Order: sequence, then C-alpha cells, then structure tokens
Amino acid sequence: MTKDAPVVVLNGVEKSFGAVQALRGVSLELWAGECLGLVGHNGAGKSTLMNVLSGNLVPDTGRIEVAGSDITDRLTPQNATRHGVRCVYQELSLCPNLSVAENARITHPSISGPGWRRRARALIGGMLDTVFPGHGISADDIVGDLSIAKRQMVEIARSFAVTTTEARVVILDEPTSSLDAVAATKLLSHVRRYVEAGGSCVLISHLLGEILETSDRIAVMRDGGVVELDDAEHFNRDSLVAAMGSVAEDARDSADRPVIRDSAPIVVEARPKAPDSLALAAHQGEVVGLAGLSGQGQTELIVDVFDHASGAQVEGSVALVAGDRQTDGVFPLWSIADNISVGSLQRFLRGILIDQTQARDFADEWRQRIGIRTPDVDDPILSLSGGNQQKALFARALGSSAEIIVMDDPMRGVDVGTKQEVYGMIRDEAAQGRTFLWYTTEMDELRNCDHVYVFREGGIVADLPRAEMTEERVLHASFRADA
Amino acid sequence: MKTITTLGMVTAVALSGMTVSAIADTSDKRIALSNNYAGNSWRQAMLGSWEKVTGEAVENGTVAAADAFTTAENQVTEQAAQIQNLILQGYDAIVVNAASPEGLNGAVKEACDAGVVVVSFDGIVTEPCAWRIAVDFKQMGKDEVLYLSDKLSEGGNLLEIRGLAGVFVDDEISAGIHEGVAETGKFEIVGSVHGNWAQDVSQKAVAGILPSLPDDIVGVVTQGGDGYGAAQAFKAAGRDIPVIVMGNRHDELSWWKEQKDASGYETMSVSIAPGVSTLAFWVAQQILDGADVPKDLTVPFLRIDQDNLEDNLANTEEGGVANVEYTLEDAQAVISGAS
Amino acid sequence: MNGLFSPRMLRSLLPPLSLAVLLIAIFYLQPRTMSYFGLNLLLNLAIPIALATIAQMFVLCVNELDLSIGGFVSLVACITATWLYDTPLLGIAALIGLVAVYAALGALIHLRNLPSIVVTLGMSFVWLGLAVLVLPTPGGKAPEYIRTLMTLKPPGIPFPIIASVVIAIVVHILLMRSAWGTVLRGAGGNPRSLERAGWSLLRIKMIMFALAGFFGVLSGMALVGLTTSADANIALRYTLLSIAGVILGGGEFVGGRVSPIGAVIGAVTLALAGSFLSFLRLNPDWQIGAQGAILIIVLALRILISRTEAKR
Repeated sequence: MTKDAPVVVLNGVEKSFGAVQALRGVSLELWAGECLGLVGHNGAGKSTLMNVLSGNLVPDTGRIEVAGSDITDRLTPQNATRHGVRCVYQELSLCPNLSVAENARITHPSISGPGWRRRARALIGGMLDTVFPGHGISADDIVGDLSIAKRQMVEIARSFAVTTTEARVVILDEPTSSLDAVAATKLLSHVRRYVEAGGSCVLISHLLGEILETSDRIAVMRDGGVVELDDAEHFNRDSLVAAMGSVAEDARDSADRPVIRDSAPIVVEARPKAPDSLALAAHQGEVVGLAGLSGQGQTELIVDVFDHASGAQVEGSVALVAGDRQTDGVFPLWSIADNISVGSLQRFLRGILIDQTQARDFADEWRQRIGIRTPDVDDPILSLSGGNQQKALFARALGSSAEIIVMDDPMRGVDVGTKQEVYGMIRDEAAQGRTFLWYTTEMDELRNCDHVYVFREGGIVADLPRAEMTEERVLHASFRADA
Repeated sequence: MKTITTLGMVTAVALSGMTVSAIADTSDKRIALSNNYAGNSWRQAMLGSWEKVTGEAVENGTVAAADAFTTAENQVTEQAAQIQNLILQGYDAIVVNAASPEGLNGAVKEACDAGVVVVSFDGIVTEPCAWRIAVDFKQMGKDEVLYLSDKLSEGGNLLEIRGLAGVFVDDEISAGIHEGVAETGKFEIVGSVHGNWAQDVSQKAVAGILPSLPDDIVGVVTQGGDGYGAAQAFKAAGRDIPVIVMGNRHDELSWWKEQKDASGYETMSVSIAPGVSTLAFWVAQQILDGADVPKDLTVPFLRIDQDNLEDNLANTEEGGVANVEYTLEDAQAVISGAS
Repeated sequence: MNGLFSPRMLRSLLPPLSLAVLLIAIFYLQPRTMSYFGLNLLLNLAIPIALATIAQMFVLCVNELDLSIGGFVSLVACITATWLYDTPLLGIAALIGLVAVYAALGALIHLRNLPSIVVTLGMSFVWLGLAVLVLPTPGGKAPEYIRTLMTLKPPGIPFPIIASVVIAIVVHILLMRSAWGTVLRGAGGNPRSLERAGWSLLRIKMIMFALAGFFGVLSGMALVGLTTSADANIALRYTLLSIAGVILGGGEFVGGRVSPIGAVIGAVTLALAGSFLSFLRLNPDWQIGAQGAILIIVLALRILISRTEAKR
C-alpha cells in the first residue's frame, strides 16, 4: 500500500437542493490501495456525495482533487472519467438495446476502428471472467435480454475494465442489491484484489456485513455530514447502526395521542408477496407509516392498495399522493386549479359538462386551506415551487371524497416549513376519520404515524406501534440481521 | 378537326360507310381501367358508364375482360404501382385517368415496353408511347360563339361568365370564346365575371355586374354549371333573358326545358360527358384490333340542341350531369377524323 | 433460450417470414410475377419507399419521429426534376442544403427540447410549400443518369432486389456493425449514460437527422428516376409508409431498437401488400383497411411472441 498522497481529496463540499441541505461541508480523503465503506440512512447524503465525486453534480462550495489535480471547476462526468473515476450507478447506465460488447465501446472511446468488436468482446469478456467467473454472459447478448443481476455484472465489469483511461477510483453504489449471494461474494473478493493491487474503491451498501468485511475504513454519514470515520476493525454492526441514527430522542408529544387501534374498524389489510412477510393492517383514522430503506416493496404495496388489487382488502375509495411529481403527479401544462380539481371532477358534472366556475372555486378554497402560495389558481402549475406543487397534489387527494389516502414518499424535496404544515393537515384529516398509508424514508415523518411497518426485501419485517417505535428499532429492522 | 369537335352525337348515317368487322379478333383481349379518384358525381358517372358499356362488350364477346381499378388515396406513386400491377396481371391494354400528367410516365413507359397499350383520357399522360384522348377546351369556347353567330345573325353585346380564376381550363375556354368573337366580327364582350362553375356564385356575380351593362345584351357565353344562375340574375333584374349557353347540369337543362315549353326559348349546351371513359375503352379495343390510331385524339363534346333536349334531360338524374355513352362506331369516327 | 425457435429468434424472423408469405401468395395469385420482368415491376417502386423508410429509421433510432419525410421526398423529387436537370450545380447545392437543414432540425429539437412530432409536422407544410414553388405544375425531367440507373437491367437478378440488398447491407454496416454506429444507437437506448460517457447528444442527434435527410434525398432522386418527372404531391404517402415500414421491420418507437435490414424488408412488404390486394381484386374502398389489417396482424404476432418471451 502506498500512502504517500491521497488519490481523492474532498474538502468542505456543500450541496443544497432548494431548502434541503444534502451535504454540509464534507471532507474526506481516499488513498490508493484502500476500500472506503460508506454507510448511512436514507437521505444521509451518500449518493449525493458520490454524484459530486463522479461529476454528475456540481457542489455549491468545496474543493475536489483527483490524483493531485484540482478538478472542482471542470466537474463533468467526462472529466471525472478522464481522471480515472468510475462509478457504478444504482440505476444502471447501460444501453438496453446494445450488446454487452457494444456497451463496453460506449464508455471506452478508444475501442474503435477495424476489429473494434473483437477487442470490445475481449475486454468485457475478460473482465467478466475475472470478476465473476462462471457468469454465463456472452459478449454478444443484448443487454435488454439479460436479467437484472447479469446487467449489474456487466455494469460492474465495464467499470473495472481498463483501456487508455485508468480506473483509479471505482465507486460502487449498492452494487450487490440485485446480485445473488454467490455473485456478491465474487464481487467483494474482486474488490479486495483490486484494492490490494493499488486501486481505490468506495463501497456504498446497506448490508453492513459486507461493508465491515470488505472495507479498510468506514465513513458513517448522517444529515449530510460525515459523523464517524475510522478503520473498519473499530466498528461492529451495532456501533454502525448507533452511529447512523440518534438513539436518545424518544420522549415526544406522540404519547399524548390516543391509541385508535383498539377501537376503530380495520379499513385496509394487505400482505406483501414476499415469503415470511408480516401483514399490514390500517384502522380507520390511523396514520400508518411504511418505513425501511427505499425500494423495499413499499411503493408496490401502496399501488396494490390503490388498485384494490387481490391480496389487499380495502374498505372505501382510495386517493394517491404521488412521490415523483414530474412523472406521476402534476399535469405540467394545466393550471393549478385544474390540477387540484381533477381528482374530484365527478362532483362538478353538469350533465356531461364540467361546471368550470364551481371547480375553480373548489380549487381556490383548497388554496386557502392548504396555503398554496400563488396569487391566482389559474396560473400554470409549473409557476409554483416544488413544495407548493406538492401541496397542490395534497389538495387534490384531500379534496376528493376518498376515505383512504395513500402517499408514496410525498415529501421528497419539500422544504421544512411546508412539511410542518402538511403534517398538521394530515393529523387533522386523520382525526376526522380518514386513514393514511404513508411511505416515507425520513425518520422525522415516522414520528407522525400511529403505527409503523418496516419493509425489507419486499416484505414486512417489523410491526411497531407508536409507543415502541424508535429510530434504532427501525434501523435495526431495515438492515438484515445476518449481514 | 372541326368535324370531330362538332361531332356531338354521331349519327348512324355518318358511319354507314365504315366497316365494323375486325381485322384481328379481340375476344381474348383484356382491358383494365386505372382510375385515380372516384369522389365526385362526374367520376361516379364515369365509372358507371364504363361498367355498363364494357359489361355489354364482355357479354358479347368483344373483349375477354374490362375491369375497373381505382386507387384509394389519389396519390401518384400509388397509381404508378397500380399500373405496374396491371401489367403483371397481364392486361393487354390499360385505360388511364391519371393523377398527374407527368408522374406516371415511368410506369406508362414500363407498360409500353411490356407491349401493353396505354390509352389516357381526361387526366392524360405526356409519355409519348401512350395514346391521349384530350379535351379541346378552346374549341369548346369557340363553338359557343359560332352557335350564337348562326342564331343571332346581326350580332350584339355579350356577357362572359368565366370559371375559376387561374385554372388552365378557364383560360382555354375563354381564349376560345375571344377567338370566336374576333373571327365572327359581330359581337362585343361588354362584361366578364367569374362564376367558378357554380350556380350560386354565378348568380351573385351576374347580379352584381348587370346594372353597369347596356340593356341590349343578346347572349351569355358560359363555361358550364353557371347558366341557371345567370338566368336567375337576369330574371331578378327584370331584364329580357338573352340566349344563355348552358352546361350539362340537371338544373340548367330543366330550366331550359321550362323556358322552351313556355316561350319557345332557344339555346344550346356544350360539355364533356363522363361517358368519355367508354370512348377510351373503344379506342383501346380498336388499337388492340390492329387499327391505325393516331396518338392524339380529341374528345367530342356532349352537345345538346333544341331538338334533343328532352331525351338528354330524361337521361339525367336530379342533381346529376347529362351523360352519353359512346359506341364502337363513335370511336371509329373519332379515329378516322383525326387521321 | 438460444434455440432456433426461441421467441427472440422468432421475433427477428417475423419480418422476413411475413415477406416470404406475401411473396408466395403473390406468386400463387399471379404467376407472371415470378420472372425477371415481373419482379422488376413488382419491386421497383419499393426502392424509394425503402430509402424513405431508412431515413425514418434514423430518426426513430434516437426516439424521435419524422412526420415530414413525405413532403421532404416530394420536394427533393421536384428539385431533382428541375434544378438538378437544368443546372446541376444549383441542384446539388440545394440538395446538400436540405441535408444541412435536416441536421439543423435535429439540433433545434435537441437544444430546445421540442417534441419532434410538432416540429416535423410543421416542416411537412414547409417542404410541400417549397415543392409547389419549385414546380408549380407537374412536370420536369429526370436527369439521364438517374433514369439509367433506375431502369438498369442487370443480368440474372432484377435491379430492385440488388438495390434493396445493397441499401440494407450498407446501412447495416454503418449503423449496426461500426463502432461509430454503436454510439449513435446507444443514444436511443440510454441517452443519459451516453452523456456521462462523454458523448455529445447534440452531435448525435444532428448526425442522425442529417443521415435521415441524406436518405430522404436518395429516396426523392430514386423516385424521379422511376417516374421520369415530378409532382409536388408525389410522395406524401411516404410519411406513414415509412413509419409503418420501420415498425413492421421489427423497429420500435423508443429505445433505439431498429434494424436496417428489417426496415428495408418492412418497406418492401408494405409495397407488396398493395400489389397483393390489387391482385386479389379487392374493392379499392377496402384496400386501405386491408393494408392496415395486414399491419395489425404482423404487429399482433410480434406482441404475441414478446409476451411468450416475457413469460419465461
């Protein structure tokens, strides 16, 4: 191991998205020949940090050096690649319409000219053989035809492959999430081999076992900052979990809310399809939180409830507040009023026509109730800030006659002030007998829930009444016990 | 030339000297109609005439088949493909009403090279190897003036109703009218309006110009479709109704009939009959028969006079156009007139 | 998985199989077509359609749609029959200019993030208007060398077959086999990943649109070579034919999944479908519908195959 100069230096990196500060002055050094483990709960800033390092996000302040040269001002993915920084993204960046070899050509521009196909095949095939012996992937397979696990292998192999540009630093963002145990082991042992040969690696994973096993050092992130950084042998699973969450903040206002569960009837019963999953039950007037790391089956359950799908027993009509505003939520070309009233059009029907005045008045009433900051509900929806757009979506759901409201992580990217207003509204509506299913990745929001279910790998692994819900218990349930 | 263009209804007398017997037998020959469009009453009448006349011809064993094909989208490339398909289907002759005078030349050339006779009519093609049965619109205009010259020997003032401005047909007919006026030397065109070949437009246009015209209008030269409107405008202005040359629409002919019965009103009508498709059929049959046919033929006009008005009116549907179906003899007369 | 009858194989075999079925049906209905002369007549008008389909394919490959290709081919036909015939230099300059305009359209669509459907729909009227200006009444004359090329009678194999094969192979090598073409196709599959890897999406879009323009020009010239003269409306139906041809040939509207060989086969199949229906002596009023039905049958088969594939 050469430890004379760090390969990567991050110095005081800050990044905010609107009111949300994702990174609060992170300083890190990465040395040649080491694997740095990076852990933290959802939204702790791991992915943001790695996106900055790989050039996809430009930090607000701070300095980034790679191999001794300051690249802060020329931070693009291309430039980062040129300096030997490779990134395996969580959402894959392969072209599904191309073959495995052709995808290798995309990130290795030096493969061209006559015979390029043979060289690309040799490069990616050789690297796959090295990392995942017995992978069963042909270099001529079309990526779109491969399973997710095989695609992940291709993506990883492509990032370790070396042509004219070196692979000095390889960032692996949840690389094992779609690999089976055997392939994951192969990858981690390759990471060790690569590191021992002098490369540097950043490993992000929620499987604490593989972090502890593979990393030389571990950085724990919380609320956009690195809270602990030490050699791996100084951590164990419990100390990592403890570092990720703040254990000592339980006694809060929640205790003064009555427990609804004992008296109110059940309105939603559902069980995720994963084996050994617990069942979810929501009683009328409850706010039920769906917790866990992101993408563990929460959204699927919410959609099932919304669709009244088989496997979910739902009493009453359901309205949805979408999390991904741009794709699932707003009608970007419509006015604010149209966006709000579209959830309740049935109410404004005059024969086959819509009573526009009534619909507009309805929207205006909700603008006042929910506090959407706009002079006129006839303005286009995109004239609103993200938080206010989200309020409009809340108004759409709350204004409808639905008895059950499901929410798919609706507070992403919403500022703190708006969040507090919306929390209050949810509590008021629940008190009037509406039932909420609330998928959230934020610990604070879970404190607004009467009951919390923790999801892991498509199933429910913990069933926590409010009185028993602590951040530590949620975190423990979120990370696999055997890991 | 004049003998053909003023041929009108060819009489049997004129044909008595002709031999009807064929040099070569065409009973095993197949003729196809390639038509680009069927969306108006004229085209519908055209297809109807084709079916009627060729159906009889097939039944009598004159030809083996005479099938009509219409393209669905009135597109040049579509009709070109259609013609090539007809060649492949082994037709001996293809009668074409073309979507474009130039765009089909490639396909027509292919047909000629394959030994297929191509006869175009109405929408003609310019490819030299094909036969063309064209309309002499200029002569049509001239004929109107010649008729008026016969009827009104002392001459006088004329009103001209033109068609749609900027269209080739309008220019041609008008040129023929002016040529006729110059040749006869006894008329003066004192006013000219555009009637767009439509009854309502003509009525409005004529009503608008009448107050500025002298009282002694003796004749109105027209382009078809506009005669009835002109008559209504004269009537509304309280003027004497001059000799208005009529077109072939049902409203024009029936008005003429009313006036004829009421006051012995005399005029004439010239137009192109949709049945010209049957003339093209017979011309194609004659070429297959070995007859020596010049490449350029001219469509005889459908001329209605005082004495055959009733017959033609009886054959015209309400809202339709006067039509005539041609016979083998008509075709032979047209051919011999041109050679 | 890799057997002869795997869904993947079936899906790629579907376009040639549909063509073969159609050809056999035509040979059966009209044995005359089974000759050098017959194939020539049957297929020569498919050449410009195939070229227009290739043009459309380049645009579809980057997840855009070109609704103006028919008007564009008409304009090229008019320029070919007039300027290129009378003043070749002016004609060549105009055609090169048109390709440049296509590249600029690609840039505009990319930079302003405009829906290509809207931009090209607008352009279709521009092309048509220009075509009428260049050639107000049908006419013009095909340059002799184009006419000679298009009426070539090579020994043994009819020219349209040779031309189709050459077009398919050249574009296949260009787009499917070359390292350069791989990047172009990647832009349809995952533009973000391409950008991350340092490729300019703007340049890729411009290249693809320029290629579309180039093949549109070839299509117009080939068409005039066959018809000998032009008409401002001559190729309007190519817009829909070309889109249908790409899809029939196994391409898809998004995701960069296209196949030049498939596109040529699709174009030829569509051209033959018209002949087939005409040989059937189907009433013309039903022909458009029947043509649509053929399209739906083939696409339904494809979806069926994809479904069985998804079930595995």
